[in-house]
Amino acid sequence: MAGQMKDKDAYQRLNYLYQAAHCVLSQNPENVELARFYCFTQKTIARRLVLRQDPSVKRTLCKKCCSLLVPGVTASTRQRRKSRKARFTVVRCLSCEQSKTLLNDPDHCLWVDRPEAQQKQPGPGPSAKKQQPKDKKPAESASSKPRAAQSRGST
Amino acid sequence: MNMDEALVRATIPQDLVKVLCVEPRTRYKAEAFTEAFLKNSIKPRSCHNLKSMLTHKAVVLGYARPKKDKGKSKRAKGLNAQQKRAMKVFQIKPEHQRYELFLPLHELWRQYVIDLCNGLKPTCNPQFVQQKLLKADFHGAIITVVRSKCPSYVGATGILVQEFKHIFKIITKEDKLKVIPKRNSVFAVEVNGFVSHIYGSKFEQRASERSAKKFKVRGTIDL
Repeated sequence: MAGQMKDKDAYQRLNYLYQAAHCVLSQNPENVELARFYCFTQKTIARRLVLRQDPSVKRTLCKKCCSLLVPGVTASTRQRRKSRKARFTVVRCLSCEQSKTLLNDPDHCLWVDRPEAQQKQPGPGPSAKKQQPKDKKPAESASSKPRAAQSRGST
Repeated sequence: MNMDEALVRATIPQDLVKVLCVEPRTRYKAEAFTEAFLKNSIKPRSCHNLKSMLTHKAVVLGYARPKKDKGKSKRAKGLNAQQKRAMKVFQIKPEHQRYELFLPLHELWRQYVIDLCNGLKPTCNPQFVQQKLLKADFHGAIITVVRSKCPSYVGATGILVQEFKHIFKIITKEDKLKVIPKRNSVFAVEVNGFVSHIYGSKFEQRASERSAKKFKVRGTIDL
């Protein structure tokens, strides 16, 4: 029980840092440095305590310079086609030019959402469940994320 | 021309707000966003110093395209310390150091702490609150230097913006970014009537390391 409570504190802290980065960027879209600092702190906390972050959170952070990727403000989002059918969403960080390519697949299902992920390992099950309400909260503050999800689903 | 400008500046009609799932921003926010968007989307021209390049550098006429090495992966490697210093990754530019820009951050922090302490009623056990605050995040809090070995730091108040290993960076009401060492100072944090003191000498860790580390209950505090 005590371990669970401790985890909750850490998740709340991660959630706060993620929201703070969004808050700073919405106040002043050019203050990338501070948002990056918060995201960097969030990343290091998650690394030290070995907490898994939700893919939707990870997709909005730059892997190279840890800045928060908001389309139009700190990142550019483009649709690209490699072969006939496969289309990709390319998100490029404007400060370090690192890009991440996401396949547009409406049928894609994350591992966390799949039923076998919940059944097989009873240990990490509750932590995965806890993560879901956690990343719902930043979605309210971050208007960008639902938009990205929509574009992924529609194309 | 005037018509176009009016069109651009027009607010979104009420019936469209629901359909598009967007909400209009305040004028100040919209302006800030537009400025940043334009600045980011217009790339600096690389050929503006073409003339100087032609005069000062040898131009190779028989140019062969360099071969691509296939073995190299495109995976992000992160930045090393040298690149970080060159990019100034965490340095806040002087034009962004304004107190009122950080007030929403402080508001967010208050909500976070109240949520963390389960409502933070006046009947709460102070030790429970302190136990929670020990692992909490202090970015966005208003802190005051209560005691310090260096008397000129005493009384400095501001919103904590960044926390490093040995340093707090706070922004004061006079829009100044102050750097205050943690060692040999005592800070006070106020939330909803609860005032808790932070002994800086015990706090000399990075913000991320504190959440994983265990604090020793015993220990002498000398100032």
